[in-house]
This record gives sequence, structure tokens and C-alpha cells, in this order.
Amino acid sequence: MSAIAEAPSIPLPAPARARPARALLTLAKRRASLTSKTPRQIAVPLLGPALLALVVAPALKVATGGLHSHIDYTSFVGVGAVGLVIPLSCVFAGLSVLVDRHSGAQRELLAAPVRRAYLVLGNLVVAIGLAALQVTVLIGLSAIRGGTFHITGAGVGWFVAATLLFTVFMYGVAETLASRVTKQEDYVGATPAVAILPFFLAGALYPISAMPGALTAIAKAFPLTHALALMRYGFIDPSGKGLHDIWGMHNVTGEAWLSVGVVALWAVALTAISIRTFSRSAVS
Amino acid sequence: MNKLKLKGIADPTTNGHRPALRSVDGRVDGIEIPAVEVLRLRKTYPGGVEAVKGIDFEVAPGEVFGLLGPNGAGKSTTIGMLTTTVKPTSGSARLAGYDVATEPLLARSVSSVVFQDAVVDGALSGRANLELHGRLWGVAGAQANRRIADLVGAVGLSELIDRPVSSYSGGQRRRLEIARALVSAPRVLFLDEPTVGLDPRIRHELLDVIVGLRNREAMTIVVTTHYLDEAQRLCDRVAIIHQGEIVALDSPQALLAGLGREILEFRVTGSAEAAVGALRDHGVAHGDSFSIGARVTVPLHEHAATEALAVIDSERLRVSEIATRVPTLDDVYLQLTGARIDDAA
Repeated sequence: MSAIAEAPSIPLPAPARARPARALLTLAKRRASLTSKTPRQIAVPLLGPALLALVVAPALKVATGGLHSHIDYTSFVGVGAVGLVIPLSCVFAGLSVLVDRHSGAQRELLAAPVRRAYLVLGNLVVAIGLAALQVTVLIGLSAIRGGTFHITGAGVGWFVAATLLFTVFMYGVAETLASRVTKQEDYVGATPAVAILPFFLAGALYPISAMPGALTAIAKAFPLTHALALMRYGFIDPSGKGLHDIWGMHNVTGEAWLSVGVVALWAVALTAISIRTFSRSAVS
Repeated sequence: MNKLKLKGIADPTTNGHRPALRSVDGRVDGIEIPAVEVLRLRKTYPGGVEAVKGIDFEVAPGEVFGLLGPNGAGKSTTIGMLTTTVKPTSGSARLAGYDVATEPLLARSVSSVVFQDAVVDGALSGRANLELHGRLWGVAGAQANRRIADLVGAVGLSELIDRPVSSYSGGQRRRLEIARALVSAPRVLFLDEPTVGLDPRIRHELLDVIVGLRNREAMTIVVTTHYLDEAQRLCDRVAIIHQGEIVALDSPQALLAGLGREILEFRVTGSAEAAVGALRDHGVAHGDSFSIGARVTVPLHEHAATEALAVIDSERLRVSEIATRVPTLDDVYLQLTGARIDDAA
């Protein structure tokens, strides 16, 4: 036995562990301090949304002449741009998982007395916060630039629900991808397919009914299509034309709930898959 | 060692997460349980690589236990299984009585680990890294601040603690990681090759830090190393691990005592086995003498080196590089496995 047995020891706090909520908050704070430690880290992610709201949407309206309907095309594209901003934001957030694994503190966190699901959920909380900030800037600047919005309490509810659930879904995709690939190069290589391709097929820049029939059918399976239709229903199109294009029903509220259900189903599924994939990949 | 008994009393600082009958010094109903208990632990990686082949050992509370072996021997895999970052293929392991497979959260709550590679958030300050560990292990607020201030002083990082860890040198980062592991005052501390990759001066400084902490903290330490001097300096007992199996387990003194006080070593031209045989025939060498290639190693035990030299002379053995020296753990490893740890590493 070592001299330890006889040496005077300093008082020891008995080992304990954080309560679940506190552990989740701690992990989210860590991620936030790593991703938004400086003003530049906060400002840079807002440049894309600002550019889309201030330049791209108005320019497209001028170039195309708009939608030839009661819906203002600047606000149509402004909301549609959410379909690019959130996927890119979540995919870049997923890169931090790879960084954590290769040169960060992931193994320390894996050895901590917290459920490994919290490591994923802590990152998700920050991804949601950043996406919320970007979407707020995007919609706010779009309104300042002349976009027309019809905002009601219920409309805000639909918009927030769609944005939140779609962010959860997209972060699940990003985290799953990050857990399955070993190299950053592979992860970055998958970004166009995961984050950009759906943007062009989900009715972000034009209604899905404007696409060939086969592509319209495919688009209806994308959670982004449902999310964008919900966001527009909430903020710019109370008649719910985007929802009609998907469901073809007469009850727009019913269509909205169905679309919420679709996005929620994707969100829950991808969150569960991402937690499972992370937990399995983190332990050899 | 902290001998406080809390028989049958809930630990008030555990937020109700720990079973009521387990005390802070690892006693259940007054019976001391091992800090680490490993039973037929085995790990076979996909592809059939058997990294650990059914090992058994126990570590008593307060003991410093070494896993000594070259790279690839299975040391880090063993630590991985004990810290629940590697899933055992079979067998069982317990930390302070908590099964790592069925009670992983409790097992992790009583342990901390310093990994072989740097595992820190480089963009954060040293203090932020320590506070993060404290919060996850349930040590927060004033208690954490006191603990961090105390440990930072002990490892000599007071001047640097508020700087980003990315600005630290390798030795400073390793000291930070050791301090971080101690913030939660773990019952079991795992040090996985704590000095690997550091230059000799920093390595010795770090060993001083570990020895200093060892003498003031009441905890069990499991350290893996392929540095023999580290094992001899730090450990109460050492398990020599070779190709996934424990080939010897005892105190360094006992392992060395098996080789006597002095070793004669020489290189022979011709058959080394014949040379060993000749020395045995004259009673100078015993069963623990061995040869690897042209090099012969003879633990002298009760004999004098001159007796062996006389046999070499009388048998007309053509030898060179004759030397006597004190046995080391490398000799023990060499005798058991036929390879030097440094060569294997």
C-alpha cells in the first residue's frame, strides 16, 4: 500500500453527478461558448440571411416579375430562404461533432456521468438558438426591404412550430452524418446533397406545382416542403396555397396539422437515429 | 485514506442518485469493497483482433496500480472498458462496486480519466475546462471554485488558467488535464500513459506533480505506462500485460526480488543457449536465466559475479559486453515475454 494511506488528505467532496437538466444546460453552454465565443462568430452566420433578404429576394422579384398572385414574391423568397439557412446552419453545426471527436473534449464528455443522448441534445439546443437568430434576421430584414407579411398569433405559432421542428430534423441529419463519417472531407462532400438539393425541390423559390409532376410528388415527401408551406401559411399566405399543393384538401387548418405531423415525425425519427448513431459510434 | 464510515446512511452530496448503503470510502455495510474489480474481462474488436484476453485483477481503495506493457498490449483498451468508452466482449468490471456495463452512470460518477492524447476544448480557457468537468460531475459553485483554485495551484498553472488552452505547451496541457480529472475528487483516477510524448524534463516534472497529488489525495489510481521508471516510482502493484494477457502481477519490489540483487549480462559468440546451459551446470545460473539472440541474462541471486566469470573462463565462452547491474522491471518483462518493453513499444 502506498504512502497515500497515511498522508493527510484535503477534504474530499463525495463524487456526485449533475442532474439531467443541469447536465443538458452545461453541455449546451459549452457548445455555445465554442461556437459563439466572439462577436465575429455571431455575426458571420448572419451575413447569409442578410444577403438573401436584402439582395437575393428583391432581385429575383425584379428579374422574374413575381408570382402573378396575391402573394408578394419578396416575402415568398424570404421565407423560402429559411430552407437554405437552416440546413446550412445545422450542417455546419454538425461539423463541430467531428472537431470534438478529433481534437476536442468528446472523450472527456463520454467519460462523464451523463447520458450520452445529452451530448447530442446539448448541441441541438445551440443549433436551435442559432437557427432562430438567423431566421429572425432573415424575416426581419425581408420585412424592412419591403416584403409583405400578415402576422397573427396563430400564424406565429405555425411559423415557429415549422421552424423549430425542421431545425430539429436537420440537426438530426447533420449529427447522424457526422457520427457515420470519419473524415471532415467526407462530411463536407455530403453537404450539397443534404443541405442544398432539397432547397431547389421543396418549393423555396417557386411553388412545387410549377415543377413537373414526378418532381412534385417527390417534393411532397420532403419535410422541407411541408415546413415551408407551414411557414408561408403562418406569415404570408393565410389561404394556404402551398398546403393545398401538398394535400389537395379543402380544410387548410387540417392540412396544416397534417404537415406539422409530417415534420414532427421526421424530427423525432432523426433525433432518435442521431442519438443512437452517436452513442454507437462513440463507443468501440 | 478517508476512513469515514457512513454505514447505511445516504451520501448527502449525491443528490439521491447513489444507492443508500454505499459509503464514501467504498464500503457496503462496513465491508471494504475493491476500488476496481476486473473479472475475465475480454475485448475482441471487429475483425477478430483480441485486444484483451480475459484478464482478472483487483485494486484496493487508495492503491496505485500500474498496467505495464508495450503499445498494443491491451492497456488502453482495458482503461477504455473501465471508463465505459469501450464495450467489453465478455467478463465484468466494477468501479467502487458499480458495474461498468449495467451501472455506467454510477461507475463514471466515481471515476475520472486522463487520456493518452490531449482531450480538451482548446478554444476555452483552462478554467472553463475545469468548470465544465466540475458541473458534469456535480461539483459546482463555491465548492468547485475552491477545488479548482487548490488544484490549479498544486499543478502550477495559476498564471495560465484563464488563457485559452490552445496557447498551452504539451506539458501544461497535460497538467491541466490531471487537475481537471481531480476536480470531482474521483474515487478512481485513470491515467492512460500520462507522460507519453513529453520531453524528459517535462516528463519528470509531471511525475513530480502526480507523486505530489498522490500523497495528498485519497483516491485509487490506475496508471498505464510503458515507462519502467514510472511504474517503479508510482505504483504499489504492477500488472505486466503482454498481448492482452496479464503475465505477472505483484509489487515492483516483489517482481524485482525474483531476479535477485544483481544481474549479469553479456553477449556471446556461438550458442547463447549453450552458454546458459553451461552456467546452469555449474550452479551459477538458475531457471530464471535466459537468452534472447546472442544476449544472455543471468540473475545472480546468492552468487557473486566473479563466480560466473570463472565459469565463462573455464568453459572458454567467447563473450563481450559483460556488465552487472541492478534488475529492472524490463528484465522481468523480458524474462516473461522474451521481448523488451521499449523494443515492443
